[in-house]
This record gives sequence, structure tokens and C-alpha cells, in this order.
Amino acid sequence: MALSGMRGLSVFISDIRNCQNKEQERLRVDKELGNIRTRFKNEKGLTPYEKKKYVWKMLYIYMLGYDVDFGHMEAVSLISAPKYPEKQVGYIVTSCLLNENHDFLRLAINTVRNDIIGRNETFQCLALTLVGNIGGREFAESLAPDVQKLLISSSCRPLVRKKAALCLLRLYRKNPDVVNVDGWSDRMTQLLDERDLGVLTSSMSLLVALVSNNHEAYWSCLPKCVKILERLAKNQDVPQEYTYYGIPSPWLQVKTMRALQYFPTVEDPNTRRSLFEVLQRILMGTDVVKNVNKNNASHAVLFEALALVMHLDAEKEMMSQCVALLGKFIAVREPNIRYLGLENMTRMLMVTDVQDIIKRHQAQIITSLKDPDISIRRRALDLLYGMCDVSNAKDIVEELLQYLSSADFAMREELSLKAAILAEKFAPDLSWYVDVILQLIDKAGDFVSDDIWFRVVQFVTNNEDLQPYAALKAREYLDKPAIHETMVKVSAYILGEYSHLLARRPGCSPREIFHIIHEKLPTVSTSTIPILLSTYAKILMHSQPPDQELRKQILAIFNKYESCIDAEIQQRAVEYHALSMKGAALMDILAEMPKFPERQSSLIKKAEESEADTAEQSAIKLRAQQHSSNALVVTDQRPANGTPPVSQLGLVKVPNMTNTDQSTAEQELPHLNGALTVVDPQPPSTPSPDLLGDLLGPLAIEGPSGTAPQSDLGVASGLEGGVAAGALAIAPVEEQTNTVQPIGDIAERFHALCMKDSGVLYEDPYIQIGIKAEWRAHHGRVVLFLGNKNTAPLFSVQALILPPSHLKMDLSLVPETIPPRAQVQCPLEVINLKPSRELAVLDFLYKFGTNVVNVKLRLPAVLNKFLQPITVSPEEFFPQWRSLSGPPLKLQEVVRGVRPMPLAEMANLFNSLHLMVCPGLDPNANNLVASTTFYSESTRAMLCLIRIETDPADRTQLRMTVASGDPTLTFELKEFIKEQLVFIPVPPRAAAPAPAPAPVPPQALPPTSSPTAISDPGALLAGLL
Amino acid sequence: MIRGVIIMNDQGKPRLIRFYEFQPVEKQQELVRSIYKILCSRAENVSNFVKVDSLFGPDVRLVYKTFATLYFVFIFDNSENELAMLDLMQVFVETLDKCFSNVCELDIVFNFNKVHTILDEIILGGQVLETSSSDVVMAVEDISKLEKNSNSIIPSIPGWQGR
Repeated sequence: MALSGMRGLSVFISDIRNCQNKEQERLRVDKELGNIRTRFKNEKGLTPYEKKKYVWKMLYIYMLGYDVDFGHMEAVSLISAPKYPEKQVGYIVTSCLLNENHDFLRLAINTVRNDIIGRNETFQCLALTLVGNIGGREFAESLAPDVQKLLISSSCRPLVRKKAALCLLRLYRKNPDVVNVDGWSDRMTQLLDERDLGVLTSSMSLLVALVSNNHEAYWSCLPKCVKILERLAKNQDVPQEYTYYGIPSPWLQVKTMRALQYFPTVEDPNTRRSLFEVLQRILMGTDVVKNVNKNNASHAVLFEALALVMHLDAEKEMMSQCVALLGKFIAVREPNIRYLGLENMTRMLMVTDVQDIIKRHQAQIITSLKDPDISIRRRALDLLYGMCDVSNAKDIVEELLQYLSSADFAMREELSLKAAILAEKFAPDLSWYVDVILQLIDKAGDFVSDDIWFRVVQFVTNNEDLQPYAALKAREYLDKPAIHETMVKVSAYILGEYSHLLARRPGCSPREIFHIIHEKLPTVSTSTIPILLSTYAKILMHSQPPDQELRKQILAIFNKYESCIDAEIQQRAVEYHALSMKGAALMDILAEMPKFPERQSSLIKKAEESEADTAEQSAIKLRAQQHSSNALVVTDQRPANGTPPVSQLGLVKVPNMTNTDQSTAEQELPHLNGALTVVDPQPPSTPSPDLLGDLLGPLAIEGPSGTAPQSDLGVASGLEGGVAAGALAIAPVEEQTNTVQPIGDIAERFHALCMKDSGVLYEDPYIQIGIKAEWRAHHGRVVLFLGNKNTAPLFSVQALILPPSHLKMDLSLVPETIPPRAQVQCPLEVINLKPSRELAVLDFLYKFGTNVVNVKLRLPAVLNKFLQPITVSPEEFFPQWRSLSGPPLKLQEVVRGVRPMPLAEMANLFNSLHLMVCPGLDPNANNLVASTTFYSESTRAMLCLIRIETDPADRTQLRMTVASGDPTLTFELKEFIKEQLVFIPVPPRAAAPAPAPAPVPPQALPPTSSPTAISDPGALLAGLL
Repeated sequence: MIRGVIIMNDQGKPRLIRFYEFQPVEKQQELVRSIYKILCSRAENVSNFVKVDSLFGPDVRLVYKTFATLYFVFIFDNSENELAMLDLMQVFVETLDKCFSNVCELDIVFNFNKVHTILDEIILGGQVLETSSSDVVMAVEDISKLEKNSNSIIPSIPGWQGR
């Protein structure tokens, strides 16, 4: 056993090891820390060797989990030691202990730079390692050119160059501007000719980072990557030390294939052919062998090749070959390969046309649910969930139910949620859905969330033909001994509503139903008792002719709970008791529950929210959505053959709660051969909201969508064509009464999107429009996500972009129909031609049933999206500032009516607008200096400098100076910032229900504004100032 | 990107902790504890992969391997290939084995500084730096030589703060 070479350190480590318990360890550590602290205080007597020893001890103590809040300076100071050992310790410990923003690091920049540009290779290596591990923005700006020089230098050893490559990668991540695209892409291409595999591997990692941000600039690297793959996988042209268990550098092969996956496609036919030849060789030439390490290495390459094949969207033949391989993998002995086989099959699901081939492996995948490894079981569950559709839902869900009883506790909740969702999405018939959910509750009640049983109640309530069946099932479960409390809840609820439908069956008289439910009461918790009380009231109402005996019993129970300490129970008991005395009135008030408005399943919503928002998963989701046949639709979609089934008539007659019901009803009409054209949908009724609300209490999953605040409408009518000012015009083309109300405040959503790059732009009961944007220099790529929330398609979808003159906008084709529950993605390319504050508008139109909805929405392609924050040093700032001497390049203005805010908040606001606040440039603490780069086709990248001078005595006014090299830019930026300062978007009031909101203008206007100015913010501000 | 490398023993005692994204010390300890809890519940002959979204966020995974009394753990995101990470871990262990000739837990305990040096030659800034074990051994030997050569004389260096 070798020792650390430092006796003191070894002794300390042994001492720690000899500690009997944590307390002793803490005492020993405290003693050591005290010792180190005193030694450091009296630095004079400290030799570099001692310093080094203490710093290592600090790192050891840190690893043990003790905070070391001193000595950082000593660690950093060792970096400038002249001798290697001390320097090395300084570098290593600093990069372990400090984070990139630590002040001490800034002090070391010069030393680090000297080591990098110095002649000593070993010092260069240390410095590059530190910067590569913890270098921040400041390092990026001051060191990037030096690091680049090292990387491409022909005189440097590979040892240094490979570190330089990864160091540059870190700096690039901290500030992408440090790599100049124009100059660097050629260099990068040359780097890929490198013979040394160490340097090549690092360079490939660098390339992956670069292409993932901007593949267009690095097209010329693509053929080189293919060459490298050929060199490794085909020609096996690799030195011995880079052959790992017989495989030519698996890491480099993997990284190269990863890089290729960032190019959208391989266009050149020759390159494509060579690439596919190599891929084919990898796919075919890999076998499972005995040696685990060799297996891992060869399959690392193989799985990456699979991913690349999927990405390149190869011919169907090759895809089926891939699925066949995966099918083989999920049955092998090697657990790692089984695991990755399942995971890659799940990824494969998003490739079109292979789902059917994957389904052939269903039996094996189901077997994997019983794998000894929980990681594999989880992958199998994910895969089954992803591959489920109408054709195999029954098999898969029943397997999941069976597996539920033996599954790990850690998985049961996920399992039952997934089973419930699949049952809902793909139910071949509704009674099966009810069966599944009740079984789920029966087998794993503890893991069934409330959402799941709320949802089944909704289905039963909305589908009359299902009610007797559900009641019967609920009755059957009550006969089982010791049922789960959730089962008591759901059975009691369903029987309360529908047990009268069973009245003639044995054991189903009101009295018998009451008794069997009441038996459970002593076993349930307080949250269930209110449901039971409602059930009793309903049973009482349904017992016709009145059963006096039963009535007496139930009244006695109400009576008993009238003094219950739980307010909910007490209130229900009192109310039901009083109502029961009213005789016939009871019948009216406790009538059957009306249908629930159709709404997105909270389960599916929950599942969607828990999924990470990656393109991959949304593709799977999209497919799943396209296949979905929501159970609620089942009744609607029945072919109408002259004699409409009762349920459809029922559906039409029911008082409509929302537009959704109305429109589905109306949509049915054509199917009914015009037989029911006279049906008049009733206006939304609000029957005794309080009482219903009380009954509905436990079932209120989300408020009916019809109650969204109507604030936006008022604004819309007051604005004519004032699009640029934030007009949102919801103009129902046909029926005024069917106006669709947006959910949430459109203006608020827009303002939120101005500050971030993804979120919801618009939502109403039928559709949700989401946005995801990427901005690079003067280019933008915005994806509109149009999601149909309903179980009926949206027709005549039209999206028109009204671009302002300074933006070139190109929207891809928008499909005319959005299928039920589906989401379509429409990319929108944006190019910024010149500086301007004008706004682009999306004119969006769709039809749902008879509703035509047309909204005009502002798109968040605003000026600040084309800004990129940049820090400037005083040396850079002041000459620039002085050289832009006055108008029109430098404009100054005193702005009044500023929303008062502390300086820190203003700095945050600036930073979030991509105006980088540079502290310390202005000696006056009340002032704020910011810098940014603006990109447009006409101005190219242009530096903008901003100075704000505030008056601490009066925060409502300030003096603003904006400077740039372009007069229009200066003016537009100044006006833009002014708008932001004078008008701050109202933060969303989280808990504001706003029962009767007065029409609120979309912008919170400063108090002095005159209403006439609403339509133009420029005019408004001009009036103010 | 590789987010971190942890070596701990089968009692859950950390032997090396290296994160490539800064983690405060309490967080580090919490992560080590949580990972230990996951790992010691895993049977033998199962896969080397665990998804750790709950600890590190979406798409972060972990590979681990047991060597005698030690767990080696790599934590990384979806920009890395799982099996390639496992291969890299093997390179790390084989390199340790060469540097310490038959590495055991005590070597790592008493030479944690050298283990840091070795790791720095294999992973830099969360990226794979070198995959050839012999190249790493050579680099580490060069460093050891440098350390020895200047250990004999210990001159005092000018106080850095005093400048």
C-alpha cells in the first residue's frame, strides 16, 4: 500500500478511520480545522510543503461532509507557487472547493493565464484543467484566444492539446461568443484530421457542443466525421492503446455518431452511402460474448448506431432490422443490454411505421415486468405504456393489473396511474373501463390517487347507459370483506346516485344498500363520512314509496352528526336533515347530478406535466394522442342509423353546462339524419349553485371552463385594429352567444413570453397554443404547438402571420384539421431585418362545432429577443461611450412616470431583457450601466450601451442614455426600455378569483394616462413625458 | 456531460467525491446518502443503470459498479452513452489498479489526492479526456516524478497576498 507521501496527512486520515463514531470524528475534524486555522493565520512560518499538506487535509475534511469556510485563499494562493507540487495542489483543491463565481478565482486569472501562455507544459496542463473544470465567463473572455492557440498549435504535445480542447468547450458553454464561428469552423474541420486519438476524442466532444448550437456553420465537419467512423469501425486503424477489449476506441465512435445526430440529415449521397455502410457493419457485426467489458464496449457502439439510424430515418428495411436486433436484446442474459434494449425500443416508438413490428415483441416485454432488476421493470413499464393503443390496450392493461399485486411498492403508484390513463385513453368499451378502475382500487387502493376515482365518477355520470352497470359493480364490491376506503367512497357515491336503477335486483333495495354502506362507516376516516352522508340523503330520496323505518334510521344518523366537530360533516348533516323534512322539495334539490363539462382528464394532464418537455417525448405523446379514442367519445361515435340510441337523446336533453356539451350535441345532428334538428340547446343553467357545489365538493377537479374571467372581451371591443398596442380581438364570426372565452389573461401570457422562451400563448376551452422559441443572433425559430383539448376534431384551422416590416417571418404549413386530443407543431422562422419595436401578430381561426373562433395574438418576437447580453470591461466601455458622442447615435432623455422600484429590481429587469448590467462601471451607486449586443440583418451585431441615472429621492423619474452605432437602433432601444420602465406587466395574481372583473386594459397604465392613448404605446408615452 | 464521480464503500462512506457542477457540501452529502440507499438495495446480477431524475432532475442517470468493498458511481445526463460511461469507469478502475498495483480501498483512502490526479487525467470538465489507460498511467507517472524531484528542497515562496 502506497502512502500519500505526506506523513501528517496519513496520520490524520488514520485518526479519522480510528474514530468509533460520528461524534469522535467531528471532534477530531474540529481539532484539525482549529489547527489549520491557526497555522494559516500566522502565515509567515508556513512552508509551502505545510501549506500543501493543510490544503489536502481541507479537501479531505470537505469530502467527509464538513463545511470548510476558510483557507480558500491559501488554496488559491498555492496556484502561484513556483514549484510543481504546491502548484498542483493549489489547482486541484481550488477546482474542488470553489465554484465558478467565487471572488478569489478572479484574483487568480492572471496567474492562470501566465501558466497557460508560459512555456512549461506541466503548468499549462494544470491551468487548463482548472479552467476546464470551473472557468466562468470572465475566464472565457480573457483566456479563450490563448486556449484556442494551444489547441491548434503544431508544437504542443497532445497531452496539452486535448486539455485545451475540453477547456475551450467549457469556455464556449460559458460564453458562446468566444468562439468566432467564421474563423473557427475551418479550424474545427482541420482538427478532425488529427491522428492522435486523445486529441481527436476531446475535439469531437468540442464539436458536439458546437454543432448542437449551430450545425449550419459546421457542415464541412460532417464528411470528416464519417471518415473517422470509417477509420475506426471499418479499417480498425487504431493504435493498440486505444483498442479497448478489441473494440477500436468505443468512446470516439460513440461521440462521432453523437455529433452526426446533430446534423438534420446527410445530403451528399456518397457520404450517406459510406455512413450507412459503416452503420450496417456495426449493426450486423456485434454479438453478445462472454466477456462483460467487451460486451459493454461493443454494445455502446451498437446502441449509438441504432440511435443514429433512427435519426437518419433510414429505409424501412433497416429500421425493421433495428427492431429485430432490439427484440433479440430484450431477451438476452446480460441485464445491461436488456435494459438498453427496452429503452431504445421506447425511443423507437416515435419512428413511424415500426410500432407494428415492436408489437410483435409484446409478450417478451410483458415478461420483462417480472425482471429481477427494478431498473429494467421500470423501462418495461414505460415501453408498454408508450406502445399501448386501441388494438392492444386490453391485453396490456390487464397485464398491468395482474402485475400490480406483486409489483414493488416503489412502482405501484406509477403503475396504477399508467393503467388508469391507458384504460381511459383506449377503452374499447366503457364497462371495461369501469372494471379496470374498480379493480385498480381494489388491488392497490393506497396507490390510487383521488383523480382516478373522480374521473370514473365523471364518466359514469356522463354516460347513462353505463350507470346501471357501474352501480351493480359497486354493489358487488361492497360484499367483499375489508375493502379499501377509496372503494367505499366510489361505491357509496355511485350507489347514492344510481342504486335506484338496480332496485329490482336481490340485495339492492334502498334499505339493503343503505345497510351495506353504513356497515363501512365505522371503518372510514373523516374525509369519507361526508360522501356517505350525501349517499344516505340520496338513498332516502330514491326510496319510493317512502320507507319510514329507513327514514328514521337515516335521520338519526344526520341528527348524530349535527354536532360533529368536523365542519364539513356537521354542515352536511344539518342541511340534509333540514331538507329531509321538506318532503317533495328534497326531490328537486337532490336530483341526479348533472353531467360534468367535458374537460381534459386531470390524469392525462398530470402525466403530461410529469413528463419532461423534450421533443422526443412529445413525439411519443403526439402519436399516443393521435391514436387515442377517449372513452367519452364512445357514445358519440356510434353510427347513427335512423333510430338514435337513447343515450344520444339524453345527451341533448340534459341542461348544458358549457359550450362543449352544446357543440358536441350540435355536431351530432348531421349523424342523426336531420331527425332532431329542432333540438334547442338550453342556455347554460346554474341551478342552485350552493347546494350543488356542496354535493360536488369532493368531485370538483377543476372549475368549469365557462367561468373564465371575461376581462379581455371588453378590451377587444374598445380597440379597433390597434393590434400593435396589444389588441386581442376575439371576434366570434357567427353566434354572439357562443363566444368562446380565453382561459387566462392573454396580455399577461404575452408579457410573460416576452421574458422567456416557452409557455402558453393562448388557451380557451377547445385549444391551447403553446410556444417554444430559440433565438440566435438575428434568427429565431419559433414553434407553435396547437393542441386540441377535446375529443372532437377542430376544423378549418387557419393561421396567418401579419409580420411588421422589419421581420421576415415564414410559417410552415398549418393543417386544416387538428384531430381530437392531438397536438400539431408548426415551426415559424423569423429573421430580424432592422431594429424596430413593432409587433408581429398571429391571426388564428378555427371552427369547433358551430363556433368559429378568431383571435389575433401578438407574437413575442420582440426587440429584446434579438439582444444578447455581453459584459464589457471598463477599458472597453469608456472609449466606446465617449466615441458615440451625441445624437443621433447617443440619445438622452429624462423619463417620468416610472414605476418605482428598487435598483436591484431594475437590474433584474434589465438582465431579464438581455441587457447585461455591468456593476462597478459607474461610481455612483444610484446609477446603472448595462450593455448588450443587438442583432439584425442591417446592423449585424452591434454593441449597445445604456446608462440609467436614478434619483433616490424620486423613484418615479430617471435619466436614461442609450448609445449604439446605429441611429434607428439607438432610438428604438431607448423607446423599448422606456416602455418597460413605465409599464411593467402586471404579475399574475395567483389567487385572485376576480368574481366580477371590470374590464381591465391589457396594459397596466400609469395613473396619468388618458384612455385615448391605449391604442399606441408610443403616443401614450409621448403624452406622458 | 458527466455530472459527477463518486467512490464510496459498502458502508456508504465517501472515498472520493468529484462534481463537475458545483454542489454545496450539504447537498453533496445528501446525494451520497441517497445514492447509497439506492445502491445497497440493488441485488447482484442486475443492470448497472439507475435513473436518478428524482435526485438530479430529468434525464440524469447513473451507472455504478462494485469492486470488492467499493461502489464506483458516474452520474451523467442524456448527452452521454450509458455503456460508454461504464467502459470509462472500467478504464478508471484499471488505471487505479495499475497505479497502485492491485488497488484496494485503503489505497484510495490514504491516497485520495493521487486518485484526484488520476481522475483529472481521465475526465475534464465533465467530458471524457483520455480513454487509454496506458496514456493516463504515463501522465500520472510524470506527475509523480515532478512531485518527487522538487520535494527535496522546500524553498519559501513569496507571500501571494503580500504582493
